[in-house]
Amino acid sequence: MRNYKNRSPRMSKGGTIKKLNPPLLTRGLLLLFACILLLPACKSTILQKSEEGKMRDIADDLGRKIKIPENIERAVSLAPNLTENIFSVGAGDRLVGVTSFCNFPEDANKIAKVGDTINPNIEAIIALKPQVVFVSTASQIENFTKTLEQQNIAVFVTAPKDLNGILANLRQLGDIFGTTERTTILLNELQEKIIATDEKVAGKTKVKTFVQISKEPLFTIGKDSFLTEIIERAGGISVTKDVATAYPKLSKETALALNPDVIILSESPDNLEPNDVFKNSNAVKNKKVFKINADLLSRPSPRLIDALEQLTEALHP
Amino acid sequence: MKFQISNFKFQTFRFGVGLIILLIAALAAAIYFGSENLSFFELNQTQSSILFDVRLPRVLLGATVGASLAVAGASLQSLLRNPLAEPYLLGVSNGAALGTMLAFVFFSQTDFARPIFSILGASLATIAVYQMAKSRAGMNTERLVLSGVIVTTFLSSLLVLLTSLLDTTKLRSFTFWLLGDLSQATTNGYVLTGIAVILGTILLSSQAKALNLMMIGERDALDFGVEVRRVRLIVFATASALVGISVAASGSVGYVGLIVPHLIRLSIGSDNRLVVPFSAISGAIFVVLADTIARVAIAPRELPVGAITALIGAPMFIWLLRKN
Repeated sequence: MRNYKNRSPRMSKGGTIKKLNPPLLTRGLLLLFACILLLPACKSTILQKSEEGKMRDIADDLGRKIKIPENIERAVSLAPNLTENIFSVGAGDRLVGVTSFCNFPEDANKIAKVGDTINPNIEAIIALKPQVVFVSTASQIENFTKTLEQQNIAVFVTAPKDLNGILANLRQLGDIFGTTERTTILLNELQEKIIATDEKVAGKTKVKTFVQISKEPLFTIGKDSFLTEIIERAGGISVTKDVATAYPKLSKETALALNPDVIILSESPDNLEPNDVFKNSNAVKNKKVFKINADLLSRPSPRLIDALEQLTEALHP
Repeated sequence: MKFQISNFKFQTFRFGVGLIILLIAALAAAIYFGSENLSFFELNQTQSSILFDVRLPRVLLGATVGASLAVAGASLQSLLRNPLAEPYLLGVSNGAALGTMLAFVFFSQTDFARPIFSILGASLATIAVYQMAKSRAGMNTERLVLSGVIVTTFLSSLLVLLTSLLDTTKLRSFTFWLLGDLSQATTNGYVLTGIAVILGTILLSSQAKALNLMMIGERDALDFGVEVRRVRLIVFATASALVGISVAASGSVGYVGLIVPHLIRLSIGSDNRLVVPFSAISGAIFVVLADTIARVAIAPRELPVGAITALIGAPMFIWLLRKN
């Protein structure tokens, strides 16, 4: 205290600082911190005693065993494709929260928004009191999952990687929401469409196709993208099917050398025409450049089958 | 004594010739290597298109951008008598980035809006830093660098704010460009940066004598008859223009303005008559080689060139610090 006084005589004149007892202040602060630290613990024990209806065990796409209620009345979707999938199996009315990216079907816009896929607002989600939260592997969910599970909210992770994965995901959602009849009808419809395209392209030569995700910088689809499979089903072959990762930034030199016969543009404001390196390609010369709605191409949902039909139409008119 | 001076001159001459040979070698390597192998003696139509429309414009843009950033860094360091003064540290690059971004949002259709807004942004950032740092006692170096940090962080937060407010799909290409991206080089993109770097290097070299005196101290320079204010204006304006034009063309390629002039000073001393032009050549070599790595390392995919310059630049900087 004396040292303090000596070093800064002006301060001691104020009086207030001089009279403060540091140990008491420290003790008070420590007590306050202890209270703050204990606060969440008290809260979660209270919440855990909430209603516990009939539960059942299921496994999600990551193989995690989770408990979900048998009758789900309140669910949150944290991915636009999951929102579409839940609506298409006839359980859209049970969604109480979706992301700001969820713009389809029309009714999804009326549901409360809980942030976006990458930054969901956890407080908003908890406030909606959902029984299950559906997430896609695309989002960062490690910490997030823990917090939700502490609140007795199940987290169901999905990771559909290809066409069969999408169909399996729809079947599982139908099972979770208890809408198996509606789901079976939907799955049969989709299967018919897939078979119809298979028949249409059977025996036809595979068309060299380039999918342009972004014009500048040049992004395309790689071997891990589900679109590589969709292109093949539509009677084409993705010229970038051997490039590592799902959506690589491609060298323009390579793009120029690939010389695709068809270019598919994932339609968005910055991707309305092929990159300049394609100006002498067969696709541009023969006017074989097609735009397909970016949402259709980027979401593993039933609308991907619409994209498949549009692609087939483009590749084999 | 006389012998020593002539010896020194011979050494610098040798150093200069060495740098030019190195630049030619770097350019040759950059033109030779790429994600596609070219048979240079019998180019077919696709291959000549790859070489002349894609690879060569990109290599030349990298060279001119590297030279611009290195020259701007070298002259700012001498002017401010601070080895850490760099376009990025002073917020000049962020000013340029913000200007380019505004041009991108409001005048995306006009090609020349980008460099103009970028130079404006860089100049405004320079003026802001200068006004904040100026005090009655004259220019204080610490104050200036601190002001630079404030301007940098303020402009960074504006950039982040704008990107969160605006439509993500519209700004996707912008986000990549911000990190330093030479892949967006247009066929004639290097012309503007080339003209700028040649004029800028000549102009800054012409101020080298005055800069040498100012490195001793602004008061001393005044005593020697240096028009300190005029020199300061010329250096600030030229450096801002060089940074503005580079950033508009290729985003923020980091570490060039810091590492390159340091290496030159370590090799031949701090005479600005040599440091400025030699920095230009070395900056070109550095970025051309870094971009070659970025293009080839994981071909046919690409790495951002800014990551490579930082990856080489940061350890080199630590090594330099320890060696001194």
